[in-house]
Amino acid sequence: MSFLTPLFFAGLGSLAIPVLIHLIQREKKHVVQFPSLMFVRRIPYQSVRRRRIRHWFLLLLRAAAIALIVAAFARPFLRQNAAAQVISGGAREVVILLDQSASMGYGDHWTRAQSAAHSAVDGLGADDKATLVLFAKNAEENMRATSDRFRLNGAINAARVGSGATRYGPALKLADSILARSSLKRREVVVISDFQKTGWSGSEEVRFPDGVVVKTVSVASPDAANLAVPSVSFARASFSGQERITVTAGLSNKGDAPLKDVPVTLTVDGHEIESVRATVPPRAAGSVTFTQFTLVGPNVRGSVHAGSDPLPADNVFHFVLSPAVPVSLQIVNGAEGSSDASLFLAKALSIGTNPLFQIDVTTASRATPTSFDKRAVIILNDTMFPPAGGAGALKKFVERGGGLLVVSGDRTSWPQGATSEADLFPGKLGPAVDRTSGRGATLGFLDYSHQVFEVFKAPRSGDFSAAHVFKYRTLQPGPNDRVLARYDDGAVAAAERKVGAGRVIVWTTTLDDSWTDIAVKPVYLPLVQQLARYLANYETPTSWMTVGQVLDLAARAKTKSDRIVVTPSGQRMTQRGTSESGAEGLLELNEQGVYEIRPAGATSGRPESIAVNLDPPESDLAPLDPAELVATVTGHATAVVSEPVAAQEMTREEAERRQSLWWYLLLGGLFLLAVETMISNHLSRKEKFL
Amino acid sequence: MEQHHNMPGARFVDPKVLARIGNLELLARTVVEGFINGLHRAPFFGASIDFAEHRGYVAGDDIRRVDWRLYARTDRYYVKQYEADTNTNVSILLDVSRSMQFASRGSVSKLDYACYVGACLAYLAQRQRDRVGMISFDQDIVSHVPPSAKHFNVVLHTLDRARAERSGNLAVPLNKMAEHFKRRGILVLLSDFYEEPESILEAVKPLKFLGNDLIVFHVLDDAELNFGYEDASSFEDLESGEQVPVVPESLVKEYRAMINAHIESLTTKFSEHRIDYTVLNTSEPLDRALFSYLSSRERLMRVR
Repeated sequence: MSFLTPLFFAGLGSLAIPVLIHLIQREKKHVVQFPSLMFVRRIPYQSVRRRRIRHWFLLLLRAAAIALIVAAFARPFLRQNAAAQVISGGAREVVILLDQSASMGYGDHWTRAQSAAHSAVDGLGADDKATLVLFAKNAEENMRATSDRFRLNGAINAARVGSGATRYGPALKLADSILARSSLKRREVVVISDFQKTGWSGSEEVRFPDGVVVKTVSVASPDAANLAVPSVSFARASFSGQERITVTAGLSNKGDAPLKDVPVTLTVDGHEIESVRATVPPRAAGSVTFTQFTLVGPNVRGSVHAGSDPLPADNVFHFVLSPAVPVSLQIVNGAEGSSDASLFLAKALSIGTNPLFQIDVTTASRATPTSFDKRAVIILNDTMFPPAGGAGALKKFVERGGGLLVVSGDRTSWPQGATSEADLFPGKLGPAVDRTSGRGATLGFLDYSHQVFEVFKAPRSGDFSAAHVFKYRTLQPGPNDRVLARYDDGAVAAAERKVGAGRVIVWTTTLDDSWTDIAVKPVYLPLVQQLARYLANYETPTSWMTVGQVLDLAARAKTKSDRIVVTPSGQRMTQRGTSESGAEGLLELNEQGVYEIRPAGATSGRPESIAVNLDPPESDLAPLDPAELVATVTGHATAVVSEPVAAQEMTREEAERRQSLWWYLLLGGLFLLAVETMISNHLSRKEKFL
Repeated sequence: MEQHHNMPGARFVDPKVLARIGNLELLARTVVEGFINGLHRAPFFGASIDFAEHRGYVAGDDIRRVDWRLYARTDRYYVKQYEADTNTNVSILLDVSRSMQFASRGSVSKLDYACYVGACLAYLAQRQRDRVGMISFDQDIVSHVPPSAKHFNVVLHTLDRARAERSGNLAVPLNKMAEHFKRRGILVLLSDFYEEPESILEAVKPLKFLGNDLIVFHVLDDAELNFGYEDASSFEDLESGEQVPVVPESLVKEYRAMINAHIESLTTKFSEHRIDYTVLNTSEPLDRALFSYLSSRERLMRVR
């Protein structure tokens, strides 16, 4: 309660008026001197009659009436938020950032967060506007700037804990943009969260302008214990034509107490396969390996459950397994029957398990256009241009998305001129250069930004300089071709050209031991496998995704028909198969569990399943000091509040004018006076002497 | 006592008008002459120096007082007795306690009124060749003018200077006076008697011991008698300074009853002791006091 004109309270002195009238009336006005009060004093009762207040009720009535009238003149108005009272000055634009990340499901965090949000809403003044922003990894403006507390509270009640990871950056940026739009002078951000350290990198470029007050409400529990299954790994083994999977689940204990004999259960397709007991030391990780099971078909759903704690969401880990699909490769050799030429290549590729390479070796003369069809990659290993590749067959193969690796040697040739094949080749192949005179050439430049060489980017991960090249073909790359590697003399060692959906890479020396010794160097195996994987456009199949990732359904789908997506919570969504914009084919995975995707109308068959798990850092409940966040985003270590005085004056008057409490007080006072008049008239009629 | 109202010329000048006359002698003369003129006859004057009776000579009598002519006729010694004390001592005992300074609105104070009365009586006495003296007192004797034929002016002067300053008490000064008076005389006591009737009587009685003639004037303001106040006020006791909040309406009846009872009680008690007692209302003319005095003098002679 505040007063616009508190000076009027001096008028409360008039409260004494009825008291004085009651007590002494006019006798204080003058003192009558009298020779002797000898007789007067003998009538004590009569003389003090005035001093006694006989009608307390009347007196109280009069005093109350005067107090009400005085209070009315003081122009009172209410302020709900006691904290804001001191720094009052105008309507506020408040952005309530309510964390709904998965970690808020810990214990009573969410209920506390909701009640904190409710109290923030209750603290709003009549003119204040508030925006409710629910955030996890992304921030969403749930309720636009409104003064309607009922709607805000409804929105808070309707909000649920999500499965997303905590990221403060997007939420704070959104708050910043909301505040920037606001025309109100006082701006405030209320962050209600468990302040996970993992959600704040400190480098988010959020900086509120001066004057924005950032308040934090932390619902974090100190010493929160949490057991999580952050990951699962699979070991695949082939056994009599079937794949057997060994599941190893990682466990992490984020608490300070060791977890003993935690039951960890593996469930596959709804059947419990095995349950083992594990012990995890405090603040440490452990792992549990289950016995093998046989993978019977595609889209087998599995999950690992571990123990129970206040945050159950991260105690489960979902995955979906499908049998591995091998990558089909055709190596085209030059000379008839010289399969030794591709010995190194074939051996190196056959070692891979991820992916498995299905290798088919043939010669240029035997290669047929149909043999290209089912292949992912064709390797022309020191051979002439295969006749089967003529008439656009090879070009079609590449344009459809196939990969072509041309390993150059003495026999390598390529059609020149105006043929369609000529466009395939990245550049113009020249004669061989002999470098046997010295120590041979080495690979001097590698384009580590390229996917093939990316794995060698880190120091000590692949020493190409150990390999010596004694002979190579010169290559004049075209303007649109990308040079992937060069020799120490600057000559091109590898170049790439993208044709349609496919890729063509030329390697200007051999991949055996005839022109170079790279085949016996440690980098050989990963290099060849990387080349094959890149050209096959191979992506490691994922057994799970994390919440917040976006699934490109259009890219996954084989057909262009509509698809029905069933979310883990059972919600059905229809995804348009054909869309011009492309955006409709995107599915944001924001629930934990297994998504099912099936073509519209399909009733039989296993649906395609996508397992979605929590972001592992979300299990780390270690809290951040909210002050640190505030200091970073405001630039002040402490909240600095500066209010324009003029605005303050305005808003006090405004608040008073809107509430108009004085009107009620005045009416109340007049009513009391009327009642008083009636009662005192009645009383004075009853007793003559008042 | 109501007869003076019927007397032609008995209504003197109003005390308020008299108050404008600064000179007490002039005032007294104005009042007394007017009073006497109004009476037309003065039966009490000139009869006091004459022969009273003869008695037989006894040894020790002054031979100068032997009536030789009677001796010549009867051959016996007779002593001639005269009206020995025709010119008596008149003492005015004036109460100057602070309560006497009270004056209700528009009227003279009780002290002034008492002074007028005193002055008038002194003048009367002077006219009769009585010796005039005065004593003023409050809780003790304040001033003392011994009775003397020459002291008229001194008495007036002393009256003129009388100021009511201290609180009063009758017993102490009156006892002192009783011891002091050696000669019978007329004692005129002017006071407002704010004491209990018993204690007043106890204090006054000793004055009678020598056979003095005691005339008591109870000087009261009209406000004291009728309590004509209307507004509720704080009443302050002039002597003690005590203040009491008073709503006059609520106690006027009781007050009047009390003051009347007080006067009644005094009247009864004084008359029991053969003391002349007159209540003087300061709003009334002075004639009542004079009449009271004169009737007292008359009775004195008749009693003889």
